[in-house]
Formats: sequence, structure tokens, C-alpha cells
Amino acid sequence: MREVVTVQVGGFANFVGSHFWNFQDELLGLADDPGADPVFRTAALDMDVLYRAGETHQGVATYCPRLVSVGSRGSLGSLSSSGTLGSRNVAAVDQPNIFTWQVMSGNVTRSVEKPHERNLFLQSLSEEEQNPSSSSHQNNAKKSAEDKDLVESLENGVKFWTDYSKVQYHPQSLYELHGSWTDFDKFNNYGTAREVVSEWSQMEEMNERLRFFIEECDHIQGIQFILDDSGGFSSVAAQYLESIADDYSNTPVLLYCVRDPVSHGSSRNQHETIIRSLHDAVSFSKLSSFCNLMVPIGPPSLSYLSPLLSIKDEKHFHSSAICAAAIHSLSVPFRLQHVGPSSDSVHSSGNLDIGELVHILSDQGRQNMVTALDVAMPAPSLTDRKDLRNIQRSLRSLTPEISDEDEDPYAVESLVFHGALDSGGQRASILQVKDTVCSALEGRARKPKFSHLSVSPCPLPIPLPFPSIFSSSIGQHGEILSTDHPEGTQPKGSLDVVSVPMAARLRSSNAIVPFIERRSASLQKLGMARGALGSQVLRDWGFGKEEVEDMGEHLAKMLRPFYPEMDLSSDSD
Amino acid sequence: MSLRVLNPNAEVLNKSAALHMNINAAKGLQDVLKTNLGPKGTIKMLVGGAGDLKLTKDGNTLLKEMQIQNPTAIMIARTAVAQDDNSGDGTTSTVLFIGELMKQSERCIDEDILLAFRIIYSTHPRFLVDGFDVAKRATLEFLEKFKTAVVIGDEPDRDTLKMMARTTLRTKLYEGLADQLTDIVVNAVLCIRKPDEPIDLFMVEIMHMRHKFDVDTRLVEGLVLDHGSRHPDMKRRAENCYILTCNVSLEYEKSEINAGFFYSNAEQREKMVSAERRQVDERVMRIIELKNKVCAGGDKNFVVINQKGIDPPSLDLLARAGIIALRRAKRRNMERLVLACGGEAVNSVDDMTEDCLGWAGLVYEHTLGEEKYTFVENVKNPRSCTILIKGPNDHTIAQIKDAVRDGLRSVKNTIEDEAVVLGAGAFEVAAKKHLIDNVKKTVKGRAQLGVEAFAEALLVIPKTLAENSGLDTQDVIVSLQNEHDRGLVVGLNHHSGEPIDPQMEGIFDNYSVKRQIINSGPIIASQLLLVDEVIRAGRNMRKPT
Ligand SMILES: Nc1ncnc2c1ncn2[C@@H]1O[C@H](COP(=O)(O)OP(=O)(O)O)[C@@H](O)[C@H]1O
Ligand SMILES: [Mg+2]
Repeated sequence: MREVVTVQVGGFANFVGSHFWNFQDELLGLADDPGADPVFRTAALDMDVLYRAGETHQGVATYCPRLVSVGSRGSLGSLSSSGTLGSRNVAAVDQPNIFTWQVMSGNVTRSVEKPHERNLFLQSLSEEEQNPSSSSHQNNAKKSAEDKDLVESLENGVKFWTDYSKVQYHPQSLYELHGSWTDFDKFNNYGTAREVVSEWSQMEEMNERLRFFIEECDHIQGIQFILDDSGGFSSVAAQYLESIADDYSNTPVLLYCVRDPVSHGSSRNQHETIIRSLHDAVSFSKLSSFCNLMVPIGPPSLSYLSPLLSIKDEKHFHSSAICAAAIHSLSVPFRLQHVGPSSDSVHSSGNLDIGELVHILSDQGRQNMVTALDVAMPAPSLTDRKDLRNIQRSLRSLTPEISDEDEDPYAVESLVFHGALDSGGQRASILQVKDTVCSALEGRARKPKFSHLSVSPCPLPIPLPFPSIFSSSIGQHGEILSTDHPEGTQPKGSLDVVSVPMAARLRSSNAIVPFIERRSASLQKLGMARGALGSQVLRDWGFGKEEVEDMGEHLAKMLRPFYPEMDLSSDSD
Repeated sequence: MSLRVLNPNAEVLNKSAALHMNINAAKGLQDVLKTNLGPKGTIKMLVGGAGDLKLTKDGNTLLKEMQIQNPTAIMIARTAVAQDDNSGDGTTSTVLFIGELMKQSERCIDEDILLAFRIIYSTHPRFLVDGFDVAKRATLEFLEKFKTAVVIGDEPDRDTLKMMARTTLRTKLYEGLADQLTDIVVNAVLCIRKPDEPIDLFMVEIMHMRHKFDVDTRLVEGLVLDHGSRHPDMKRRAENCYILTCNVSLEYEKSEINAGFFYSNAEQREKMVSAERRQVDERVMRIIELKNKVCAGGDKNFVVINQKGIDPPSLDLLARAGIIALRRAKRRNMERLVLACGGEAVNSVDDMTEDCLGWAGLVYEHTLGEEKYTFVENVKNPRSCTILIKGPNDHTIAQIKDAVRDGLRSVKNTIEDEAVVLGAGAFEVAAKKHLIDNVKKTVKGRAQLGVEAFAEALLVIPKTLAENSGLDTQDVIVSLQNEHDRGLVVGLNHHSGEPIDPQMEGIFDNYSVKRQIINSGPIIASQLLLVDEVIRAGRNMRKPT
């Protein structure tokens, strides 16, 4: 077992993370549940990779994510930063202590923020926590009626990522940034975080939290870093990643940059457009220099991603769910049993650790570390050979600004397929999946230079607090019931769908070129050219001329692997 | 310019609106913070939306917790927080002083508006500002004469340092705890101080531990690390220890990530693994060799504290050799360890010699739930130390931590300033008297108003101290001023309001803190007074005319 430590930074990243950990929590529950699908027990993923065992001061055993989550102050809603659910009124417990202060040194004034109301879901969680016996096997009819209410309340009222989290976090995990008078509502570009980042003690605290989780790892395989890079958190993360690269120089960092569709909203004026373009360019340049593999996620709209899904762009609760599902799928190979490359087990195939993944994707074909992510949710069943291209076709890109071409002879990809069903709706065997995928690959006109496949029978479990984003043509186990779906039917959610088969793919190919090119061009045009419109903006963000030029050079360098014929000595484009 | 011709009043009104907005913001912030000042200040208890609790009596902490939106208030808050960043204290005083400068200015301006309406008004703040400038320089000069020199040299005047630290701590914590921390912070600073070098407070590690009683907070001459060894067979306690401080990877890493090499079959993979493993083992063996050499035949022990990782096979080897090993030490502790134990930090086993080793009389581990602490104590001649804060809960720990930081800063300032200033309002009353008696008359015309406003504004400190003690401000100020008129330098007793001699009572403020307050207060106030227009949220508030 080799440990993975997870870092989440910024608003949307924590929304994604919340779903991600809900999946893990669900897997843990299912592995222990005799009534559940046995695949969750027999083909269980190794959860110790992502989780740590510990104990509280009272000696109670705990099992918590190896996680550092960084958000803005107030973004935890009704969850206290120590990780415990709800305000189990700390204030009341400590009354005698405050009393001492009062007597000994004078007056106390209180300023009490309006407590955050806990929604139905969180209320039911804490009830369950308090008397676990009553809830587990209570009257089934009543329970399902209640569940319906819970699901509905989440559909309509998620404000914080903690509103739908069912996970117990470690007290070291949740860190709130205190940007003294930084308005986190306007935390929308690289420059807005200057005050936050310059406060040395906050960066130090973030580093210490991470060190806590890394120190206890015997064989850390890498860090998976989920970042909302749409605003000021980019700059926070860049700083964080830089010190990670310094302190853990041999630990690979896999960076997911996630954005919610709303953050793409149209700019109001030219100035805003300039700021956005520069933000994208600067973040990309900075972030890519401090990680080993980068996966940009977040197309401008998810509502048309697939006819099998019904995602409302304006709901973070929705859009983050699919990102989380994809990231979960990509994390499956990190947790498969290790077997020799030639031998195969019935339970998994294609174990890969983060370092190997990085190596395959960034060192094998082109020297490119920015990859596109495609996902099939749910993945199609393995039907007969005529429909081989099904799998290819069902993969939808979550990476924005890429080209549609799929023609790169130097492409390298890593595909994860888990929980696949066969044409009869039964769980497909590892061998079946491998066969199908291989022949699908053979059938492709242009084959990638290298393709890695990881397979596990364990599907994505759908926990109760999962949004209703499945179309009505999805069955209980994620099978596709019919391709034509009647108009006007309600989307399905966790009450109807128990699990779904998933496929996710990382691609390192020239499809990513437009993404990089746009950033490189923005920086050239708006930041570096003579009389550039944005040079003042960059100065305001604290960048000197030289630093801007370095960023420009870095971006140009990232494009070079795609133009091997380009003369390296000439700088023209 | 054309604007003025077209509509002479529009500009004036806008200016006036902006000015009053600034004044109100400054007063508002002053109102929030004034109950914090001094030992009798109020503790503010902040309860967050999720029930999180924060207790503070510190202006700096409070400002950072506040959701301030008004841009003027933010500007003042920034100045006050910068004050703390630079000198470690005086946040509340800065906010009060700026607020009071604005209040006093408002009085002059309002009176003038009545007297002379807008002709004089439109230029008037300029006069005030000129007066501020004169008063500021005069006050700084006065401070030079007023300050009390402290003998530092090789043997610093410990008593003054203690009184200084005590004054600071008592404004943040209840007396019993403050007094107990006094020795701790003084000793900590004296421990890390090197003659003729600036004091680096980072060499005092501040570590905290959950524990029933806050009074168990103590100074550890040596270092406390927040982790322990990761091997069941390693000793939990050892005496007479050589300490190896290093930054050497003792774990097997997959080198292909860097080397760009990828194995194509299992056999190749195995080969890679074992080659890599051998290199790691060799490094470990070098350390064991050194241990065997220095510990031969004695009752000595060997402790490795590594900034990089140490994997289980390496831990095994080390444990079998009787070595205690800690991995992933925090970067700054590498520096601290060397200062505490001696020796030097090594980055490669090739550089490693006997001379690199430090020494500690005692190394032991303390476990608290899943948390482990390693104490490296009984060191010779430590130049780094740890303040171990204990408290029953997070907010108590946080409050003590803040107070300890302030205490450390005050001792450092005293040593570097080689001076302190009499506190409890004594300086402010004396400076006011000096300004009115000697400085005002040197200034011509309306700038006198500025000097007067400045002098009056200084009194906000003793006034607020009195108010927070529940005393009658007017009475207190009158009796303090009377004493000063008789040539006695007094401050106020915060219990009775009677005049006291701060020197006798040991109530001191830092010279550099005072200096900075006097410097920055009028700068900000002047900017706020000379405002032309207020920019809010990126929009120009001036209405189109
Ligand atoms: N024992 C005391 N009696 C009277 N005044 C005191 C005493 N201790 C401190 N002071 C005064 O309290 C003021 C500092 O209060 P404090 O709360 O620390 O505010 P600041 O944030 O400005 O440092 C100083 O003017 C100091 O002289
Ligand atoms: Mg103070």
C-alpha cells in the first residue's frame, strides 16, 4: 500500500472534494454491509491509501481522510473547523473557563454570529450519530419517505459544501483562510490573494497541516491536489505547491484544476476580459511549474455533456458531482492490488501509482504534462463486437478549450474502467473488459502511441446525498435502459440509482494545444508586447517585468513538444 | 478646474461628504476597539456560525477577525495591523489615536463652517495637517528626551525586561497567568540572543499541547518536536544523546520519475528497485557506522532527526542499531536544532563527520492520543528554545499564543531599543503639556489649531484607560494634568484612578512602538483629511454634475 495525500483548495474544489469523500465513505460502508452487492467486498479498493487510522484524545479510534482542505473563512457553513459536525455547543462546555477570565480580569462581551441552520440531511446525520440503533432498521416505509425529503432538500438548498457531506474529517484537515478584510466574494483573480498569501503565518499553518499527514506515511506515492483555479485561490495554491515542491521534492503532485460552469460567465467590459485572460495565463503558468501532471477540468457548460445526464450548470452541487466522479475513477488504479505486469488477478488489473501515471503520460510520448480528461458516466455495457466504438464515443471531455481532433500519433493515454456491466446487465469480468477495450483500440483509425488500461469490477457507488442528475433512462445499476427517453420525466437520483459503471481517461496529446496556446498568446499580447493593455494589471498583481517574461518563456516552452519541427532558436510564432 | 467654475458648490459638498464619511469611519472603528485598551480592557468572545469560539483582548486579533467593508476603516485597520507587524504592539492605540485625531479635526472644521462658511473651509484641513506635522516632529523629539534608557550590554537589565514583559502580558491575560509567563518570555529571548546581532524570534519555537491547566505552560531549553519515532522498537527515552540533524532522503523513491526510464518487464523493475534500495541502505549504513564510532563502549545514545522521509526498512536498520530516528522534521527546526544542540545540519552522508553532531542530555517522547511529542532537552548552551503552551482548549491556547508573541516582541524591542517609555498614560499627558506649553506658540496662525488638536488627541490613551476602569475620565485627566503641572511625571492607577509613578509600579511601553504610533497616526489622519473624493468598490462616488 502506498499512501496518497489529498489537498483541496478553494470554493469549487471543496464542493468536488465533498462528493469525492462521500463516495469513499459509501464504499467503506458497503464493504461492511452484508446486505450490499458483494462486489463492494470482494473487489474492495484499498482505502488505507486515502484514509488514515487514528485516535482521539479520549482514545476513540478514528478513520479519516488524509486531507488538507483550504477554503475561505465562513465557507464551512455549519461544520466547525475542528471537523466535528454541528455546534455541539463548545461555548457551553467552556463556560467555567470563561468565567475564570471574567473574574480575574474584567468584562467579557460576546459577539455571536447567527448560527448556520443545519439542513434536514445534516440533522438526520447527527440524529443517527446519537442513536445509531433506532435509525438503522426502522420502519422502512417511513425511512424512505424521509429519504425523499432529504434528497429534495439538498436539491433545493445546498449553500456550502458541508451541507451534503457525510464524512468525519480529522481536526487537522479543515483550514479556513483569514484574509483580513479580503472580500472573498470578490476573490476572482490572481491578484486578489496578495494579502492572504503575504501573511506568512497562514502559509506556514497550511504547510504544517500537510506535514502532519505526510510525516505518518511510510511510502507516500503522491499528492492529489484539487484546486479551484478560477480566482484568487490560484495564487494561494501556487504558493502552496511551490513549498510542497521544495519540501517533498520527490513526491509527485497530480493537480486537478476544477472550475464550475458559472465561473465562465461573460465579462462585463474589456477591462474584465483582460483581467480574466491574464488570470488564466498567469495561473496556468505558475501552477504548471510546480506540479508534475495537470488536468484542467470544467467546460463552460455541463448541461449538454451527455443525454444520459441532466446537470444544472448553476448548481455547484450538480456540477461538482460529475467532476468528483471522474476524479474518483482516476484514483481507482492508485488503490488496486499490486500484481506483476504480466499476471492478472480476478479482482483488478492495471495498478498504477501516481508516479507511474505521471511518467506514462508526461514522459512517454511528448514531454507534455497537461492532459485532457474524458469521462463516461455511466460507462456503456460491453455489448457485442459491432458496437465496439461505443466506449470511445461515450467518453465526453471535461477539459475545456481542447480540439476535437483525435489524430495524434504521439498520444499517450490512461483509461480506467470500473464496474463494467456486460450486455446481460451482469458484472463483466476483468478479462472481458480488457478484451473489449483492446479490440476497440484496434478498431481505431489512429491509435495512440501508448495506452494503459486499469480495470476493477467495483462500480461508483451513489450515496444518498448525491444530486439527481441521471436521466430517466438509467437503471438501478447504472445500466442504460433505452436510448430514447420520454420527454418530461424527472431526473433520477440516489433513491433510484445505486451504482454506476464508470470509464475515465487521461489523454496527453495535441488536443490540448489550443488550451495552452490561448494562455501563451494572452500573456504575449496583453502582458508582454509593447504598450500591452494588461501590463499595469500584472504590475498591480506584484509581477515585475522579468517575472512576466519568465512566465511567457515557460508557456512557450510548454508548446514546444507539439512543434518538434519548430526552430528552437527563433522566438517568432 | 472647469467643474469648479460651473458649479463651485458641488466640489465643496462632495469633499465635505467624503471628509465626514472618513471621520465617521475612523470614529466607528475607534468605538469598536476602545474597550480593548489596557489591562482593564474587555475580553471579546466571538462565536462563529458553526459554534467556533474565539476569545481575545487583543486589538490586532480582533481587527483581523472583523468583517470590515468601509474602505476608510480598512485603511486604518491596515495601518494598525502593520503597526503590529513591525513592532509587535500598539494596534489598539493606533486606531484610537487616528480616530481621535479625526474627531478633534472635526471639531475645528465644524466650528469653522459656522464661522466662515465655505471660503475658509475648502482649504482648512490643510492647516490642520500642517499643524499635525509640526506637532509630530516635536513629539518625537520629546520622546527622545522622555524615554528611559535601559542598560543592555552583555548582562541586560533583567528587571526592566521583566517589568516590560509583564506590562504587555497583563494587557492580554489575567494576572496570575501573565506573571507566570513573564519569566518564560524573558528567558526565552535571552536564550536566543547573540550579542550584536538582531534577535530572530523564530528561534523560539512555540508549541502547544492540550492539557488541563494553562498554568503548566513552560519554557523548554531545547526543542520540542510535534512528532515521534515511527518504529515500535526505538527507545522512547534516552540520555546522553548525540544528535544528527540532517536533510537526507532515507526512503526508496522511484527514480524513473526523474530519470525518464520506464521498465518494460517485471525483472527489469525488480532490478531497478533493488539498485535503488541498495543506495538507500548504504546511506543508512553510513549513519550507523558513525553511531558505532562515537557511541562505542559508552552509555551514549544516538538520535537522527531528518527533514526528509525515512521508510520502514531504513527505520528497521536504524532501530536494530539502537538509533532513535525522526523523519519529516519541519524545515525551520533544522536551524533551531543546530542552535539548541550544536553541530551542523548535513545534506548528504558524505559531509557527515563527528563534528556535525549535536548533543542533548535527554531525549524523550510524550504521547497524547494520536499526537506525539519529542523533547530534546538538557542541552549545552542553547541558542534556541521552545515555549510549550498548555491549555484546556483551542481558544485558550490561541489566546496564550498571541500573548506570548506579544511578550516576546516587547522584550526584543526593549533590548534593541535600549530604552522604554513610562506607561499608564504618563507619556501622553507629558507630551500634551509640552506641545501646549512650548510648541504651540512657535507656530503661526491656523496651524496652531493642528498642534492643539494633536495634543488633545494624545489624551485619548489615558482617557480610555480610565474609562475602561469605570472611572470618571474628566476627574482622572484633571488630576493627572495637575500632577504634571507640578512637575511630577505620573500615570493612572487602573484600579483607583489615582496618579501613580509608572516607574515605581513597573509599567512601561516599548519605545519603538510609541514612536511608530506617533509617526503613522498623523500620516493616515492627514490623508483622510485631505481627501478629495472617495473611491468605493472601484467606483467613483462623485456624482456626475
Ligand atoms: N498596569 C497598567 N496600568 C495602567 N495602564 C497600563 C497598564 N498596563 C498597560 N497600560 C497601558 O495600556 C496601553 C496598552 O494597552 P494594550 O491593550 O496593550 O493596547 P495596544 O494594542 O495599543 O498595545 C498602554 O498605553 C499602556 O501604558
Ligand atoms: Mg499592547
